[in-house]
Amino acid sequence: MFGGLHSASRTVPPAVLLDVARGFTPRVERRDAATVLLDLQGLGRTWRSPEALGAALVDDARRRELEPQVALAWSRVAAVVLARSVPGLTVVGPGRESEALAPLPLAALGLEAPTGELLRRWGLRTLGDLAALPPGGLAERLGAQGPRLVRLARGEDERPLVPLPPPRTFRCALDLDWPVDGLEPLSFLLARVLDPLAASLRAAGQLAASLTLELTLVDGTRHARACRPAAPMGEPRTWRTLLLLDLESHPPAEAVQAIAVTAEPAAARATQFSLLDAAQPAPERMAELMARLLEWTSEGRGGSPALVDTHRPGAFVMGPFAPPALGGRRHGTTVVSEGSPAWGERAPRAVLRAYRPPRPATVELKDDAPSFVMAPGLRGEVLGCAGPWRASGDWWDVAWSRDEWDVALAAGVYRVFRDRLAGTWFVAGEVD
Amino acid sequence: MASALKKELEDLLRLRRLQREGPPLRGEDRRRAPLPIGIPALDDLLPDGGLPRGQLSELYGAPSSGRTGVALSLASQCTAGGTLVAWVDPLDRLDPASAASAGVDLARLLWLRGDPSVRPRALLRAVAAAGTLVDSGVFDLVALDVAGFTASELQRLPGATWLRLQRALEDTAAAGLLLSGSHLAHGPRGASLCLQAQGAEWSGRPGPGRLLAGLAAEARRTGGTRRAPLHLRALA
Repeated sequence: MFGGLHSASRTVPPAVLLDVARGFTPRVERRDAATVLLDLQGLGRTWRSPEALGAALVDDARRRELEPQVALAWSRVAAVVLARSVPGLTVVGPGRESEALAPLPLAALGLEAPTGELLRRWGLRTLGDLAALPPGGLAERLGAQGPRLVRLARGEDERPLVPLPPPRTFRCALDLDWPVDGLEPLSFLLARVLDPLAASLRAAGQLAASLTLELTLVDGTRHARACRPAAPMGEPRTWRTLLLLDLESHPPAEAVQAIAVTAEPAAARATQFSLLDAAQPAPERMAELMARLLEWTSEGRGGSPALVDTHRPGAFVMGPFAPPALGGRRHGTTVVSEGSPAWGERAPRAVLRAYRPPRPATVELKDDAPSFVMAPGLRGEVLGCAGPWRASGDWWDVAWSRDEWDVALAAGVYRVFRDRLAGTWFVAGEVD
Repeated sequence: MASALKKELEDLLRLRRLQREGPPLRGEDRRRAPLPIGIPALDDLLPDGGLPRGQLSELYGAPSSGRTGVALSLASQCTAGGTLVAWVDPLDRLDPASAASAGVDLARLLWLRGDPSVRPRALLRAVAAAGTLVDSGVFDLVALDVAGFTASELQRLPGATWLRLQRALEDTAAAGLLLSGSHLAHGPRGASLCLQAQGAEWSGRPGPGRLLAGLAAEARRTGGTRRAPLHLRALA
């Protein structure tokens, strides 16, 4: 027996319809966005009658807020056409498909507009009218389509059911005889869960885009943690490290009674290696490293700096550390030697060692130039200086304006500036 | 046939050194290739022509001796070659604009910024992070900037701190670099470079329009007698 399930509500996602159907049978075929066909063979041992089975299907669909139209018949075509056309539950006994379809209008078959119009001009109104015509005569007038329409109107199947492949879930669970407390024993148990999970993913040609760890605790509560590495990966050792690092910062409150890990599959990536570029670290290794450095990165104190398009001194933003591929732009056949102009551009630079925040300073002036500088950890007579260099900006936002000086003290060379808006001096950093 | 041609091409590349910063070719042990600092005078001072991999090296000197500029020159050499650099900075002193002007590809730089308001803890965290970075095997250069900590603060670290870091570096392709104000520690085959500030260089006579032209310094290997002059151009 076959079942047709159609939702009259257009707002329901097709996945919900499939979920309802898969609750009854794994052999499900999607006919259109609002209709699925179910293979109900062998369900007679669970439901006493087709009516009981149909009622259960309707009830389950109503619980998911569908407006179900269900038809149970011994032919696939009849089940689908009746489900699309007849509200509520329809059950058709064996051999009575043609009789059940007969009163339905021709539009129930979903005919193309020219064919439907032609049949209407012939005076046909229902599927019963169409089913009564001789197939040979229709073949002379409509070609191969004629006998096919007659077979459909009589409820005769033209092709077998083509079931959708069941969705694969990658989950591995382990129930423990004795509760486990502490991360060290848990790491061994995680290996027992993650190894088979990795094997099943590998067999399917998939990687894990994310992992969800569910720990059932002795008090019955659940401790769930999700881990989403920077790139899909399939190495169970790395998974274990990532999960353990996460559990270190979010440990379960009680001892663990059961472990379950679910992986969200993702297609394995294709990587093109280069003969000439430096080998880049594997994403798995990078993800593991960043998890170990979570203490830094979570506070925003670890990552790659990026300069900001502003003249404000010391402006930058921290971004995640995700080094790009070189892409071969660097490679050429030019030999870089000390005498070439390119080498001159690489002359070593004195750089600033910044004080964050800038240190408040007391600066004495002589002939409008600093002559003595005093700041926390820094004090001395100015031996030489350059400046002032005036800079300002962001008048439309948080304005800043400063006069900068490079001053040489006995202790070193420093960059000092006078905040022109506040009239106070600061040491920005040490030139090194 | 194809493999023979490929081998011939690799031999040619190896022979002519068409790319100074190219990655190691097949058969080359990258652990043996030192990291050049990119300043010929300093590279000549070192026996291998650069910082040895798998070893803890140090670069020390007083403020304005150019230690940070030299270290960033080394970092720029690494990032230009496509490798990655980690910069552990417990006192949060690195200036990204300066690093970029020194030629460092910031996208290839992992910068760990400590919190200077908790100095002893920042130092301990930084040392632990340096160990993690070395263990990862991801970076060619792991620099730990402890310049700015006083001698007493550094002495409070456990006695085996630097020995442990050296042991972690051994058998890896990474070079460890300690940036400090005074001699601290280095591995048995690691480089130890001392920089001595020679003063600032100015662009003209005192007065308006004068510029800081750069810093002059002198470099020598610890225990060595050869000295090399060093000039660092001022940052823009």
